[in-house]
Amino acid sequence: MKKRKSAGIYFVLPWVIGFILFTLLPMIAAVFISFTDWSIVGSNTQWIGLANYREIFQAEQFWHALWITFRYAIIAIPLVIVTSFTVSVMLSKNIRHVGIYRVIYYMPAIVSGVAVSIVFRWILDPNNGLINFMLSWLGINGPNWLYDPEWVLPSYLIMAVWGAGGGILTYLSALKDVPTSLYESAEMDGANQFQKTWYITVPMMTPIIFYNLIIGIISAFRKFTDAYVLGGAGGEGEFYMVYLYEQAFAHYKMGYATALAWILFIVIMFLTVIVNVSKKFWVHTA
Amino acid sequence: MKKILRIMIIILVTVFTVSCTDNKPSNEFTIATWAAGTELSEFNAIVKDVNEAAMGKYVIKTLSIPSDYYIKLSTQIAGNKAPEFFWLTQELISKYADLGAITDLTPYLEQSESLNVDDYYEGVINSAKFNDQYWGLPWIANPFIVYYNKTMFQTLGVEAPTATDDWSWDDFIAISRQIAGKTYRDKQVYATVIEGNPNIETFIWSGGGDILDEDGKTVLLDSEGTVKGISNLVTLFRENLIPQYNSISYARNVYFERQEVAMYMGGIQDDFEKKILLMPEEDRFELGYAPIPTDPNGQSNPFDWTASTVMSTRVKDKDLAYEALEALTLAFFTWKIAPPIKGSIDNIGVIAPEKIPALDTIQHALDNARSANYTELWTIISDTYLWRGLYMPILQNPNVDYVDLIQKAASGIRSKIGD
Repeated sequence: MKKRKSAGIYFVLPWVIGFILFTLLPMIAAVFISFTDWSIVGSNTQWIGLANYREIFQAEQFWHALWITFRYAIIAIPLVIVTSFTVSVMLSKNIRHVGIYRVIYYMPAIVSGVAVSIVFRWILDPNNGLINFMLSWLGINGPNWLYDPEWVLPSYLIMAVWGAGGGILTYLSALKDVPTSLYESAEMDGANQFQKTWYITVPMMTPIIFYNLIIGIISAFRKFTDAYVLGGAGGEGEFYMVYLYEQAFAHYKMGYATALAWILFIVIMFLTVIVNVSKKFWVHTA
Repeated sequence: MKKILRIMIIILVTVFTVSCTDNKPSNEFTIATWAAGTELSEFNAIVKDVNEAAMGKYVIKTLSIPSDYYIKLSTQIAGNKAPEFFWLTQELISKYADLGAITDLTPYLEQSESLNVDDYYEGVINSAKFNDQYWGLPWIANPFIVYYNKTMFQTLGVEAPTATDDWSWDDFIAISRQIAGKTYRDKQVYATVIEGNPNIETFIWSGGGDILDEDGKTVLLDSEGTVKGISNLVTLFRENLIPQYNSISYARNVYFERQEVAMYMGGIQDDFEKKILLMPEEDRFELGYAPIPTDPNGQSNPFDWTASTVMSTRVKDKDLAYEALEALTLAFFTWKIAPPIKGSIDNIGVIAPEKIPALDTIQHALDNARSANYTELWTIISDTYLWRGLYMPILQNPNVDYVDLIQKAASGIRSKIGD
């Protein structure tokens, strides 16, 4: 029995060592680094206590980046949830070639973020881009998108909606689990399609919406790849992670950037806890 | 169980020890470069020639980092694996020097028989200077000049600037007023286009102002000269002599190539000559060159972008390393335009024959080239106070109270550097 136990330990040991070396120790190191002025290039690192955190809260750029990210999150997350849920409901129907539609809608989720950003640079190009070209058919002179500070946020929202297909996999599998008996009873009671969706499908889907909301919060606050590649006029594309990255690698303030990372962790944790607490009011768990 | 744990610990310690050990011969040097493609092939050919000439005394190897250059470089330095030599642009030299990552080359430059400080254009070598010491050997200079569309000037009946005669910023604005709003090739044209480039330094210097004194510690930003200089920038926007920032929808050079603007302020490496030759015949135009307009003191201040090769502090045999670095730098002078050393202007005609008509203007630019007075906090000063605190608000709203912005930026820089 003892021998069997130790055999199990050997099997998990590589994972445990990997976890300790590449996750736990770097996390502990990151806590330590956030209290130092480590620059990555220099060797004279000093313990500066809470100075990085104080500097962060006094920096206008920090609040600007946080606001840009928060503003994006508050619009993009519900927008993406509604879009992917609606698309999933449509794709759950027995329509012709549904498999092809599912592949098409899910495809954005498997394309590299950098590739997507490069494609969107063309799509959003004010002169030769796809969107403005299509708007011109309607006689509309399209905006300057990423070149105009006022249109930077809408540009990123378009990209977010385009990538909404990533969530349909979870919605589709959950839709399959909704008991058909509920719909049958509703039909017998004279419910129409909208009523069936609103009173049966949506409540039954709330656990998955909850899951996608949490994932949405995390990914919105960690938005980096497309923001880094595309930017945006007037500093409107400077999301939190871009700010963090610039502090680390353009200004060589690794201690400061690590403190930013911990603040982001706390922000995400705080929002996640709030959503989790609110769960009992709207998530159907029966 | 204990035996296996012991074995695993031994393996881990061995792996760490081996990976941290540097077994490189002391006469082997690695140079990190951002060059890629054709540029890298040319670079490697130069390195090969230098190695052959050294006849085994030292060997230089190439490390190409074409993307995320500074991130990979800083990670290597952090991991104690820094290449012996690497390229740095001017604004980072003070930072790396302050952090103790690069070697002070002043004593070597003073003793060298092949390359001295005086061989360089003053404004170019100053970009590698920090705390009165020289930390890098510049291998390229790229000062700003004004390109203009000679054909457009002639068609619109506007008197063009000359290749070397100084013209003031008042002249520049007066010419801009004559051009902006006119129709050329069925399009309404502007004088030039500004979207964050040319940099804010160009405009600060245009009024005789500056950002920091040569000591890098005294803030000069809120001087009358700066206010005058920024007023030049603001005038161009307020009078609609250039496109408004929010309406700019493609790269600045494209405006010039499409003949939608008459002038373009940029580095001498901008390849308009080649691009014009590739255009359909009916779209081609004659290119003119002029120096950057002068400040109220009659001084032209073309901003110069310079890259230097620096030496890591972890180099063991520094004397031999400097010998290799110097040989390599001398070889670079025949490679890129413009060579940063005096008396080499004719090389440009050999390296890029299409630039021959621009040689007089390039010489003028090199003689007057300058960069900012850099400090170890420059990246923060530039990003936080000059770009976000001054330039960007003006771009977004040219009617902003720019004097107030200047004062706030100056005050912010003072508190940052403790002036």
